Amino acid sequence: MKINRRKYFTSSALILLCLFFLTGCGQEHRFIKKTAFKDTNSIVITFAGPVDESWAKDISKYTVYEKPDPDIKLKISQVGLSPDKRTVTLLFKEDLNQDQPHMLTISEITSEGRSLGSAFVSVKKLYLGYLFSILIGAMIINNFVFTKYLGLCVFFGTSQKKSTAIGMGITFTIVMVFSAMMAWFLYQFVLKPYRLDFLQIVVFIGLVSLSVQAVDTILRKVNPMLFKAFGLYLVLVIANCIIIAVPLTLAANEYNGLESLMLAFGAGAGFLIALFLMSSVRERLELASVPRTYRGLPIAFVVAGLFALAFLGFSGMSIF
Amino acid sequence: MDPTLIKLALGGLAVLGCIGIFFGIGLALAAYKFAVEANPKVEEVLEVLAGAQ
Repeated sequence: MKINRRKYFTSSALILLCLFFLTGCGQEHRFIKKTAFKDTNSIVITFAGPVDESWAKDISKYTVYEKPDPDIKLKISQVGLSPDKRTVTLLFKEDLNQDQPHMLTISEITSEGRSLGSAFVSVKKLYLGYLFSILIGAMIINNFVFTKYLGLCVFFGTSQKKSTAIGMGITFTIVMVFSAMMAWFLYQFVLKPYRLDFLQIVVFIGLVSLSVQAVDTILRKVNPMLFKAFGLYLVLVIANCIIIAVPLTLAANEYNGLESLMLAFGAGAGFLIALFLMSSVRERLELASVPRTYRGLPIAFVVAGLFALAFLGFSGMSIF
Repeated sequence: MDPTLIKLALGGLAVLGCIGIFFGIGLALAAYKFAVEANPKVEEVLEVLAGAQ
């Protein structure tokens, strides 16, 4: 009974934490209710109250840029105000790249003659959709094995049998999520504030081996059966380059916690998919009459190349 | 030498040292808490057995 209650407590605390994270990505200025993209070339800003028309129509009050390039200001061609004076539509000369979050500075917001200060807000696509696009992007569109050619040694080493491939994929995903979350935390809260981000590779390599060791130690005691099945792969995970590529990607893109989680999960699932596809083919290849020179690894490389070509079909796709 | 660079280097050493000590202690505690009693005979027998690997 007591243990049960503790479990409830822990889970409710976790849920609260998640909610905190979700609300953390809301708006930054109290007078601005919502910002969103509309069509291909406009941004809609919804205010909490009516704003003055003379202020709202002034193009110079708005500056917009894509988050990675603060130097390139986007040109606004027209500002439209709705009849109830609560919604402003910014029309741009060129189409917006909606995959990037845009930063929007609105100076000296004036409402009914009162100045409400300046606001600095971000315009993003629907957040859940954005997360989903990161997940699918890491899993299929930018599959780490087939489009970035990472982790090939483990990929060829453990894709001979379906059962091995699935075991490796699952172990891999667990370690990846674990280490990516730690990497995100350390990068955002330790390395960046102390301006040590040039040491990120050293720190991330340490983190990966640490998480592998931790999973190894804990799994050995908590679930010996699972350890017997997956323990062998854990050692292989240390020397894998996908697992170091994920923290580097999330650091380079300045992802927040949820986004890094999605990236890590997508990369792991993508690796699982790649291993499973490859092992299915290789099981069939055992029965096929392959010319002698191609038997074993050479034909596996040919098959991997064909898979990479097939996955090329996904490239450039964008979701939402 | 630029004093800010020296400060950065010393700060980096301190921070990374702290991270290392923290995780080292964490791993040691985990190893202690999740220790698995291994039968010493298993290793002895394995030693005697022939094996290429």
